[in-house]
Order: sequence, then structure tokens, then C-alpha cells
Amino acid sequence: MTTVLVVGVFGLVAIGLYGLLIVRNLIKIVIALQLLTKAAALAMVVAGQVSGQVNLGQSLALTVIVADTIVAVVGLALAVQVRRRFGTLDVRQLSTQKR
Amino acid sequence: MDTSLPLWLIGIPLAASPVVYLTGRLLLARPVICRWLTLAGLAAAWIVFAQVASSFSVEGDAERLIGMVALRVDGLSLLLAGVALTLGTLVTLYSYHYMAGETGEEKYYALLITLIGTMIGLGCAADIFNLWVWFEAMTISTYLLVAFYRQQPASLEAGVKYLVQSATGSVFVLLAIALVLAQTGTLDLDAIRAASPSLPLLAAGALFVIGFGVKIALVPLHTWLPDAHGQAPSGISAMLSGVVIEAGLVALLRALGALAGVTLSWGWLLIGFGLVNMLVGNLLALRQQQVKRLLAFSSLSHVGYMLLGLGIAVYSGQPDGAQGGFFHLLNHGLMKGLAFLAAGALLYALHSDHAPLYLADLSGAARRYPLVALAFSAALLGLGGLPPLAGFMSKWQIFVAGVDTQDVAITLAVAFAALNSVLSLAYYVPLVNALYRQKTSAPVERGRAIPVTMKLPLVLLMIAMVVLGLLPTLVNWLTEPAAAAMIRLFGGV
Repeated sequence: MTTVLVVGVFGLVAIGLYGLLIVRNLIKIVIALQLLTKAAALAMVVAGQVSGQVNLGQSLALTVIVADTIVAVVGLALAVQVRRRFGTLDVRQLSTQKR
Repeated sequence: MDTSLPLWLIGIPLAASPVVYLTGRLLLARPVICRWLTLAGLAAAWIVFAQVASSFSVEGDAERLIGMVALRVDGLSLLLAGVALTLGTLVTLYSYHYMAGETGEEKYYALLITLIGTMIGLGCAADIFNLWVWFEAMTISTYLLVAFYRQQPASLEAGVKYLVQSATGSVFVLLAIALVLAQTGTLDLDAIRAASPSLPLLAAGALFVIGFGVKIALVPLHTWLPDAHGQAPSGISAMLSGVVIEAGLVALLRALGALAGVTLSWGWLLIGFGLVNMLVGNLLALRQQQVKRLLAFSSLSHVGYMLLGLGIAVYSGQPDGAQGGFFHLLNHGLMKGLAFLAAGALLYALHSDHAPLYLADLSGAARRYPLVALAFSAALLGLGGLPPLAGFMSKWQIFVAGVDTQDVAITLAVAFAALNSVLSLAYYVPLVNALYRQKTSAPVERGRAIPVTMKLPLVLLMIAMVVLGLLPTLVNWLTEPAAAAMIRLFGGV
């Protein structure tokens, strides 16, 4: 069981990072971030189980979910503003800054 | 120490935040109330801080349990709280006119005071998950502040970059915490230190470096920093550069300290990152024409000096390097805070539409704004490390600690850092030069007056900087316990 969960964590991290690298739509980027944080939440549950403290692991996972929800809300709020100012959600169009 | 004191120290700013926001919403016509409420909240926090500091000097570390969550006040927490409160108070004062009339002023003050509270909390965290929670809370309050001018495309771009990179970094920290929990079965920083070294713990250390490294802007992870620091309102740039980066550094030290037994090379890692940060930060700053972006890049190199000092301490087990590093942390807070606030004051005077401030705009600014120009120049020369300003003293202390180790490689690293310090003058001096030019630029000609609430923080910071340069021992009561705490973190005596 633990092995399956660990594979799940790695899989979610991989999908999330891959998504962050290739996706150009701001909302999809937020979704990729969500996948990554869900991997972290799952990792907490697994860690709790492995160390024999199931309650601790699950309460940590809940805290992580609360925090990442706030991040998602802020991210989507930014997406709304970006859509209003730039007329697009494509992050490639966002570059206004010189290097 | 009365163990409820640390609780008050964190609780007052956090409790003040919703009060400020709600009062601001209810009395939208009179935003002045928000400003005064924020200042009142900070004044209350200062009173508690004075009590914590005085009982700390007598009794040493203090711990307080709230349920299962432990808060521990040691030298490091005290240093971070001191810097955060000092800069926070001055920035609030400064924002009195700077932010006046902006939409969402009540949100600005509510978030600013939340930011201060969460940073104090971050310094006091005694278990590794709690550390992450404070870190995340701090980060979230800064997301909103960085993108505060939401009508500005550049601010939104900075906000998006900052959010995506920070959130990814935070996931790495969480994965590291999960590894530590699975391996050691505990979250308490002291208990983790007792665990035997193993490969998963080494991996956790690497993940911590990446995760917290985003916030500290270790070099390959720094790309969000110039945008975020350049686009935020100037007061927030001062906070971000002066304390938030440093709070990330404290978080990294706490996490790595818990894993100190895993490998002996953490010291080298810190020194290595420090050297790269110095060089890259300086080289990138050299080609900047936009003043706030230039200052943001120079933060990269200053983090480098801190890392060098701290790395030397971790490597040698002697507190001198750490004391120098923490002294530089404090000085950098004052100097970079002053530089950003002074740049912001000129931005306020020259451009009323939040347009970026360019080097060419500054030409001859000293003729119309002599006080601000003097403060700005003092900050820049201090950052460049000219004696007798504060920046020189802390760099000197770090370099002396490095040479004292009598290790050839570290001596070479110190020489490299000293050369970098000279290199950095190449971009600080043109700014000073522009300020004192005879011919005034067009924006300076038609610039508006700078109100006294903006000048007062500049003058206070400038005095603090010069006094600390002449009498560096004045802050030993803060830096010495911080260095001792850091050596204890890494398993020394």
C-alpha cells in the first residue's frame, strides 16, 4: 500500500512539474500548482502512516490543503486581473519587463 | 520570561490586521484611521518586544506550548523580530502619504501588519511544519502586496512570476518535511537533530535548500526577485528586500540546522551559493537603468555576503562569522530599506503615475531634494561598503572571521567577496553621481514636494546607519545571541 502511495506522490509531482513547464494558460498553471500541492498533501499522509502517526499526518495534510487553497484563490484572482489588463491568459504575452 | 509574552508579540500584529481592514472598509471615507490603527498596533508590539528583549537578556531562551505547537524565543527570533518591527514601523510611517488615496489602502495596511506578525512568528517556530506554516502565511501576504498596483501590467507580471515560483518552492519544502517525518517520526527541530544520518534526510536537506532558496533568491532561483521588488509599492520593496528575504534565510538555517548531522558540507554549500550570488547579483545590477530593479539585483549580492558569513560559521563552528552575517542582515535591512524608501520618495516626487524611475530621471535631484538625495547617497555608499558606514563594518566582520579560520580556501573566498564589494561600487556610484549632477532633468524640474512623513523615516534610518558604522558594538546585544543560537542550531556549544 505504502509503495502505491509513494508512486502516487512521485507521479503527481512529475505531472505537476511537467504541467508548469509546458502549459501557457494561467488558469492551467494554477491547476498544475494544485497538482503539486496535492502531491505534498499525499506525501504528508504517507509520512504519517510510515512513522506510525496517522492522525498527525492527516492533520498536516489538512493544513496543507487550507494553505494551498488560499494560494489558488490568489492565483485565480491574479488571472482575472491579467485577463482584464492584457485581454489574454497566455503567460507568454505577459512579458513587459526588460531583462 | 513570562511565557505568554511571545504569544502577545505575534498575536498583536495578527489581531490588529482584521481590525485595520474592517475599520477601513466601514469608514471608507476616512482612510486616515487605518494608518493610525496600524501604527498603534505596531506601538503595542514594540512594548511587548521591549519586555521580551529585556527578559531574554536575563533568562535566555523561552518556550511556550500552545496545544501541540511550540513557540521558542532565542537570539535568532529576537533579531528577526527586531528588524521586522523597525522596518515595519518606518514603512508604515512612510506610507502615510506615499499610499494616500490609492484604491485598497485599508488592504495595504492590513497586509503589511500581517506580514510583520507572520515574520515574527516565523522566527519563533520550533517545529518544522509550524515553520512552513508561518513561511507560507508570510508568502501569501506578500503575493497580494507585490501585485498591489493591479492596474499596472508590469505589477501583474511580477505577481504571477512570484506566485508560481514561490508556490513551487513551498511544495519542495513540504516534500522535505514529509521525508523528515517519515524518516525520524518527529517534527520537533531539536528531536530531528538527534536522528542518525541517512540518505533520505540528505535529500530532505537538498529539498529545503531549493524550497527556501526560492525565497532567499539563491542564484538560479532568483528570477522573480527583480520584478517583484521593482514593481511592489516602494515601502513593500523595502520590506521585501530588507526583511522578507532574511526571514527566508532564517527559515533555511533552522531547517538545515536540524539536519546538521547529516553531512558536514552545509557550510561549503552556503559559502558556494554566497559567492555565486555575489557575482551574478553584481553583474546583473551593472546593466540596469531602472533604479528599483538595480537595488533589487544588489539584494542578491548582499544575500551572498550573509551566506558567506553564515557558511564560515557553520564550517568552522566559531560564532564570529555568524555574528558578522547577522550584523550584515541587520545593516542590510536598514541600508536597503533606506535605499528603497529614498528611491520611492523620488519616484513619488517625479512620477505621479507609478511609472518606473530611471537613472537619467535622477539627474540633479540633489538641487531640489537635498535631504532625500543625501539619504539615498548614504544608503548607496553604505551598501557599497565604504567606511565609516554600517555596511563596511559588517562586511569587515565577515571577512575577518573568514581569515581567522586560517583555511586557504576560505581566505580565497573572502578575497573574492572583497573584490565583489569593489565591483558593486561600479553601479552604486553612478547613482550618486547622477543625484549630484549640476544639470537637472525634466522630471526633477516639475517634481512635487516630498512630505515630512516620508522624510522622517529616511532621516532616522540614515542616522541609525551612520551611528552603527561608528559604533558597531551597539547592536551586539542582538547579534551575539543570534550567532550563539545559530551555532547551537548546527550542533556546536
